[in-house]
Amino acid sequence: MKDSFNIKIGGSAGEGIKVSGLTLAKSLTRLGFRVFGYSEYPSLVRGGHNTYQLHVGVEQVYSQVKQIDILIALNQETILLHQDELTTSSLILYDPGDFKLPKGQLKGKYLGIEFIKIATQAGGTPIMANMVSLAATLALLDLPVTSLKEIIKNAFKRKSMEIVEINQKVVEAGGQFTKDNFSKYKLKIKVPKDVTTRMVLTGNEAASLGAIAGGLQFYVAYPMTPATSILHYLAAKAKDTGILVKHAEDEISVVNMAIGASFAGARSMVGTSGGGLCLMAEGVTLSGVSETPLVIVNSMRPGPGIGMPTWTAQSDLQFVLNIGHDEYPKIVLAPGDANEAFIQTKESLELAEKYQLPVFILLDKFISENDYAVDPFPAKHLNQRFSFIKKSYLSAHIYKRYQLTKSGVSPRSVPGQKNSTYCCNSYEHDEYGLTTEDPKTRKLMMNKRAKKLDEIQDEIPPQQTFGPQKAKLSLISWGSNKPVVLEALKNLPQVNFLHLNWLWPFPKKQVLDFIKNSKKVVCLECNSTAQLGQLIKKELGIDTQPLLKYDGRPFYPEEIINKLT
Amino acid sequence: MKKYNYQTSIAPTWCPGCGNFGVLASLKNALQQLNFKPYEVVIVTDVGCAGNMADFISTFTFHALHGRALPPAVGVKLANHKLPVIAVIGDGACYGEGLQHFINLMRGNHDITVLVHDNYLYSLTTGQYSPTTPKGTITKSTPEGSIEEPLNPLALALANNTTFAARGYALDISGLTSLIVKAVGHQGFSFVDILQPCVTFNKNQTVDNWYKDKIYPLPKTFKDKTKAFKEALRQDKLATGIFWQEKKPSYHTQVSVLEKRTAVSKKIDEVDISRLLEEFI
Ligand SMILES: Cc1ncc(C[n+]2csc(CCOP(=O)(O)OP(=O)(O)O)c2C)c(N)n1
Ligand code: SF4
Repeated sequence: MKDSFNIKIGGSAGEGIKVSGLTLAKSLTRLGFRVFGYSEYPSLVRGGHNTYQLHVGVEQVYSQVKQIDILIALNQETILLHQDELTTSSLILYDPGDFKLPKGQLKGKYLGIEFIKIATQAGGTPIMANMVSLAATLALLDLPVTSLKEIIKNAFKRKSMEIVEINQKVVEAGGQFTKDNFSKYKLKIKVPKDVTTRMVLTGNEAASLGAIAGGLQFYVAYPMTPATSILHYLAAKAKDTGILVKHAEDEISVVNMAIGASFAGARSMVGTSGGGLCLMAEGVTLSGVSETPLVIVNSMRPGPGIGMPTWTAQSDLQFVLNIGHDEYPKIVLAPGDANEAFIQTKESLELAEKYQLPVFILLDKFISENDYAVDPFPAKHLNQRFSFIKKSYLSAHIYKRYQLTKSGVSPRSVPGQKNSTYCCNSYEHDEYGLTTEDPKTRKLMMNKRAKKLDEIQDEIPPQQTFGPQKAKLSLISWGSNKPVVLEALKNLPQVNFLHLNWLWPFPKKQVLDFIKNSKKVVCLECNSTAQLGQLIKKELGIDTQPLLKYDGRPFYPEEIINKLT
Repeated sequence: MKKYNYQTSIAPTWCPGCGNFGVLASLKNALQQLNFKPYEVVIVTDVGCAGNMADFISTFTFHALHGRALPPAVGVKLANHKLPVIAVIGDGACYGEGLQHFINLMRGNHDITVLVHDNYLYSLTTGQYSPTTPKGTITKSTPEGSIEEPLNPLALALANNTTFAARGYALDISGLTSLIVKAVGHQGFSFVDILQPCVTFNKNQTVDNWYKDKIYPLPKTFKDKTKAFKEALRQDKLATGIFWQEKKPSYHTQVSVLEKRTAVSKKIDEVDISRLLEEFI
């Protein structure tokens, strides 16, 4: 009886692998399983090797794992490429009508199922071969195809009921064929006792929903993997949500346009990846000096230069902490999973408005594109507005947009509002916004802006720790590594773990408290220079031991376990 | 009706005799004629001598980054399309540092007015050559004479689907006032290239040896674009007036989200995302 199992689908780009994987993920979620979906693909529209892997379990499964239980091979290459992830008991499903098994020693049990033939004989088209493979997989797990049929219905009903019916017939045929011919290969798995409703979505979708919930009014971006799907999602929902979504001519325009909209009072957000963020750097400082709220989602991928567009990295942390010239306050958040992406993106819009500064959401290819199964997000969201002045304020005060205050945050008016004009200024300025080079005013303004960081300290939520209080070894990591580390912890009872999703202002006390109780601290991250390690060293003067990966691939739990035991 | 003077507490810091004074006076006149309250107008200025206007006019102003006045101007317009938005920008910023914005936002027919103070130089940075500097001009950054052919702003705009293109002259305040009134009144992207003497750094394009003989008023706006284009290509004379104007829907009128309200007035105090969640289950 297996508690959890791992399915991989492999083929060439353009074969609908990601869609198949997601369909299977949703079908299994509807049966009550926990799932985690991870996809890999090269930066090509056609060709190249694509995979989707789905880790499934009755109890929580956090991340992808290496060893494959069922491999759906949509081409011959897939079989050869993943031999070292197979065991003698792995099942490999392939279509013998499509290609022959490669020669030589092969690991696992090979089940020839004519996906294409079954699909066409059931009245479908060759494209529906994927559905046959999914139905076959369910049959081999001794699971019903009902939920797969529901997912198909939801996906295609807007196209036509005829397409729904054909696909469903294909699924029935695929399941039946597998039962009739291969039932002795059935995997013995634990099945969930009851079913809880869960959503399956990517980190980018979660971040987009968080932004919508947080009152986003203006989204502007220029396409760049792995942030692009935020633009796609929000553009597709613009009509429903009433959010203005614009694809601008370049990232420089993007950031400046968003700041203009924010100056006009709109809650504004931009999304990009490293190269695009480089182009935005000067604009981010404009948000800083002019104290105009801005949320920047930066989904990291390996660089420098174009780097590896469709792979993952956490290599922009130091860049983001130091982005732009001179000094100004900013907030840097790094959600660990889809749930945190939702919560923190929502929060970022509020923080940006409350403290009138740039707020970064650091994602990466891994979290942006993985499929997470989460409890449904709350449906209703209340949003408060911050530091906008009212008419009554103006009758009682002389309006100074950059008034020196105790908190560093000043009252804000919006264009169109009576008797409250000011210059929103990229130059250093006085309290009214007028340009100045006066040394005293300059210093006061620098201090005023910097002061906001002190206030923000109180906003930092408790950072999550996992594992025993007292441990032989302590892990610290940030952002998207969270689920991989949690998966690894299942086999590391002596290790505890601090997950940081709030990086700036740095949660000094919380990190110090954790380290104080640790015997040995390892800092795990996806870059080559231990960027979080550097931050901890700078802020606390403490050395940590780096555990790094920077080949474009995420950590696997097995690797962490191997390194730490 | 109360007339506003749009005066701030700051006296302009331009050199005596600078053409920018003429543009500022014309812009204030135009705002007066249009009867705009200062708080109902947004002026986005670039960085440069021209851009320093941000402190000298009492509307809502936004002093942008260098070359970047147009994106925030469009950002303001898309956020609150009820506001008239005017960008004030130098030739270096508009045709050099930020040319991509000029070309692309023009194609979108965003409803903003772009006033380019064209003095054939980068003046704030003490007079290097700009995209409109005639070939062969000796400046601090081109001691052997500039090598590039100059950019032709009006011809470029006409070829690039601007719906309003005009040329003004900074020292012709009544003519420029009327051009600005029409440009701001135009629905869509309105572009005015303003010939602006820089008395300190530009010793070639001066009133006496350049503008006096070259400038003449266009008798009327062209109905035929090829004729407007031909006039724009002229080198011997520089016509002032509206070269081209056509009616086309501006960007924000084609965005369904903005049909009934502005982007800033979208209610956000209570957001319900239940319908959006369905597709993920
Ligand atoms: C990114 C950046 N590059 C360069 C500068 C320096 N700079 C300021 S104004 C300017 C040129 C101004 O020329 P123009 O736009 O023609 O305006 P003018 O001063 O002639 O009115 C330059 C190069 C800057 N502020 N920012
Ligand atoms: S340098 Fe030229 S453009 Fe600048 S203020 Fe002086 S005269 Fe005017």
